[in-house]
Amino acid sequence: MAELTYREAVAAGIAQEMERDDRVVFLGEDVGGAGGVFKSTVGLLERFGPVRVRDTPISEQAIIGAAMGAAMTGLRPIAEIMFSDFFAVCWDMIANEIAKARYMSAGQISLPLVIRTANGAGSRFGAQHSQSVENWAMAVPGLKVVAPSTPADVKGLLAAAVRDPDPVIFFEHKGLYATKGEVPDGELVDRLGTARVLRQGSDVTLVALAAMVPRALQAASRLQDEHGISATVVDLRSLVPLDTRTLLAETGKTGRLYTVEENPRLCGWGAEIASIVAEEGFYELDGPVVRITTPHVPLPAADALEDNAVPTVDRIVQTVVRTAG
Amino acid sequence: MPTETGDEIDRSTRLALYRSQLEIRLLEKRAYDLFLQNLVKGTSHLSLGQEAVAAGFAVAMRKDDYTYCTYRGHAHTMARGAPMVGVLGELMGRSCGLMRGKGGSMHLTSVEHGAMGSYAIVGANLPVAAGAAWSAQLRGTGQVAVCFFGDGATNIGAFHEALNLAAVWKLPVIFVCENNLYMEYTPIRSVTAVEHPAADRARAYGLEPVIVDGNDADAVYQVARASIAKARQAGGPSLIEAKTYRHSGHSRADPGKYRPPGELEEWMKRDPITLYRERLLELDFGEGALREIEKAAQRGVDQATEAAKASPPAPLEEIERDLWDDGGSSWRN
Amino acid sequence: MQVVMPQLGETVAEGTVTAWRKQVGERVEAGEALFDVSTDKVETEVPAPASGVLTAILVSEGTTVKVGAALATIGEAAEAGAATEERLSPVVRKLLAEHGLQASEIKGTGAEGRVTRRDVLEHVERRKGATPAAAERRPLGPIRKRTAEQMALSWRTIPHVLQAIEVDFRAVESARAAHGLTYLPFVARAVCEAIASFPLVNASIDGDALLVHRRVHLGIAVDLGADGLMVPVVKDAAAKSLPDLAHAIEELAEKARARKLRPDDVTEGTYTISNSGRFGTLLTAPIILPPQVAILSLDAVTRKPVVVGESVAVRPVGILAQSFDHRAFDGAYSAAFLRRLKEILEGRDWSAALTTASR
Repeated sequence: MAELTYREAVAAGIAQEMERDDRVVFLGEDVGGAGGVFKSTVGLLERFGPVRVRDTPISEQAIIGAAMGAAMTGLRPIAEIMFSDFFAVCWDMIANEIAKARYMSAGQISLPLVIRTANGAGSRFGAQHSQSVENWAMAVPGLKVVAPSTPADVKGLLAAAVRDPDPVIFFEHKGLYATKGEVPDGELVDRLGTARVLRQGSDVTLVALAAMVPRALQAASRLQDEHGISATVVDLRSLVPLDTRTLLAETGKTGRLYTVEENPRLCGWGAEIASIVAEEGFYELDGPVVRITTPHVPLPAADALEDNAVPTVDRIVQTVVRTAG
Repeated sequence: MPTETGDEIDRSTRLALYRSQLEIRLLEKRAYDLFLQNLVKGTSHLSLGQEAVAAGFAVAMRKDDYTYCTYRGHAHTMARGAPMVGVLGELMGRSCGLMRGKGGSMHLTSVEHGAMGSYAIVGANLPVAAGAAWSAQLRGTGQVAVCFFGDGATNIGAFHEALNLAAVWKLPVIFVCENNLYMEYTPIRSVTAVEHPAADRARAYGLEPVIVDGNDADAVYQVARASIAKARQAGGPSLIEAKTYRHSGHSRADPGKYRPPGELEEWMKRDPITLYRERLLELDFGEGALREIEKAAQRGVDQATEAAKASPPAPLEEIERDLWDDGGSSWRN
Repeated sequence: MQVVMPQLGETVAEGTVTAWRKQVGERVEAGEALFDVSTDKVETEVPAPASGVLTAILVSEGTTVKVGAALATIGEAAEAGAATEERLSPVVRKLLAEHGLQASEIKGTGAEGRVTRRDVLEHVERRKGATPAAAERRPLGPIRKRTAEQMALSWRTIPHVLQAIEVDFRAVESARAAHGLTYLPFVARAVCEAIASFPLVNASIDGDALLVHRRVHLGIAVDLGADGLMVPVVKDAAAKSLPDLAHAIEELAEKARARKLRPDDVTEGTYTISNSGRFGTLLTAPIILPPQVAILSLDAVTRKPVVVGESVAVRPVGILAQSFDHRAFDGAYSAAFLRRLKEILEGRDWSAALTTASR
């Protein structure tokens, strides 16, 4: 085991796959010479050379379009979109082209590609560089959507994404890049579509994603210590495919479900989860499903505002205490 | 309009160019008839009058080269050799359709023929073609990508992003603007800062401006041959503006009333197929040989029509098939 | 209006709400019992301060709060809304149906008394009688806890000596039976009289001094089952006639069993009598309630053969056992006190004492 930061795990995951498979190429803005604006791809250019690690112009449509064209003709590209907010300028490529190509061509076109991006709040970057847009991607048929919360998951899920035959949107969280964690040595390949139960409780189930996972864990500790409420914490890890089996099972064990979501309220991923549980787990529910989300606003820049817009440990604890009876 | 470089094109190529244009013409006319019979639903965008561009490039391409076209893509898909029954079947929503009814007129795709998809969002296919060219460059296969788009696409961001990327990376891609004077209903000239919407932008990306008579299959073929050769020899991309004209409206919903009186008539006199037939006769191909080609093409279209009509509608199971590589569309366990 | 934790006795700083007598949404009249409070001194019910509808309960059962803390609100009927409606979750409805239960059979522990999934599952477990665990962990209630603390303190700090004496209750028996009384008031009365001769028994240890009380505040230990013991105090017992004393003891025992003792009812005891007689025990070694220095146990009075003169007679006989604090006095003093007690109980005309006021 080695201790890596979340950002180091990104580079480690890419390197593992580029080493293994010559067809894996990597492109994006500032990803090569600069090592990524979040320093998450440091060393890749030096190791794999400028043919396979390519700096691009600030042309998100060209980046994603190029990845698509390459993927359908035998490569397995990893494209980086620096901030997930920039999906808006290449959404045609992602939502109209990549997501639909296999279906529209009745399976003639395969797109084994990964679009990595830095998602989420906490850096005081303001409303155009802080969004959590995982629910955008989740809403488009034909995209797989992954959002890891730990360095080990970054590496393992990134490898799984690269090896997956379908397009995968890989949401890294800006607020987690500096976090550290143990990453197993040697080749690491995880499985998409598998949630992980991080803590087993008996009173309530908290389902979280990415940066909300450590917060849900902290909240669970406090709920136990300060309020005697025993919480299960599930890290979804992947929105598409969605591990509904784990979700329904863990909700059934406690009868209470809370989603902890960084995306804004309306049509956030938890809405779909609440809907699934209402439809398929209704008779296991011992109370309403409660969603804890960022309010339906763009993210403010000031630290105090941003910090309190996104679900905090306090808000999670208070919401559960108020509603869990 | 005789071409000065005509001698450089061998006779079998000329026959191929004629056959290709003719098949496209006859098939698209048939598609229109089927639309009137309510057998083809939805919309479709015909290339009547623009066949020379599709034929000229397709004949110049290697079998493993890539074609990227637009919603006006019947001609290019056909030109690469996609079966007529697959094209008509797709337009009619039949099981025999190229994409079993999943794509429709605007998304004809036949990967086995190098037709890598028809992209119905204006400009979207340029970056994708650049990506395919990048892939060919990396894999060292000598393949090229040819990307067709309308004049309207020259004002969208993806056009410029793709041109720049292709030029910077010296990608083996040929961008072909089919300038038929109208975007959809509005003349391109009235909304564009330069006279030649594609060619006048070439210099911005370090490329030579190339304008070709898009109604002359030989001229198109020669430009195609040259630009493809350049791309294959790592000479980088080309941007070609083919001047042409569509005889019909933008789509089935469009009678083309916005065109000034006499314009269509002038262009009809320069119908690429009529012109090409005259040239072949001038070059002593003989009326009989051309008649044979024409009969065979018509027979092919008729047979394809009957076969497509006989094919059952796309089965309902198709609705949830082929979203993922595993053949299904499940998003959960 | 807000309902707050009342001041229950001058030295009481906090109290535990042990039960709510009303649910949110229920109508309550001023003076009607609203909730029960337990302090380290007392367990009592508290009346509603105003009439209205209980609109909110702010402190759940088992919670300890400071005096003056808000516990509930009483307001107009409209405020309560639909809170009293039966709110059953899907899983609770399913479980009730599966086990053929009604929600009303189950005590709800959720918000506003809602029956939760756990409530149903625990109810089902209890009904099965299936206690899979070898031992069930039961938290100590407030009175039990207080009893435990006091007894441990006493046992740890007081050098106990036990002395017992056999008493012939023949003199008591006829008077007692005629008036339907227990032996207890007679013993209590005798204790008061004996204390007059042996005042050190009615005292407290106060640092390095013995505080000898002028008046007898007689504690009567009342068993509350598993909850623990309460020791209400008959104030100035020596000044009371036997009938008054009997009445006072009975009244306090009732209040204790009904958990209606007031703080003043349980303070200031100077000597205590513990009565285990009804269970038929022979002798009990009682533990002194600090800072008192002695405690008397009354066990079963049974008919036994007794040598009277040269013959054997059948007499109602019982053992009085006193534990005393050896720091306060010695065995001879205690023995003399017990002898005096025996003399009083055996020698007095108790029927007369019951019909005429004594002293």
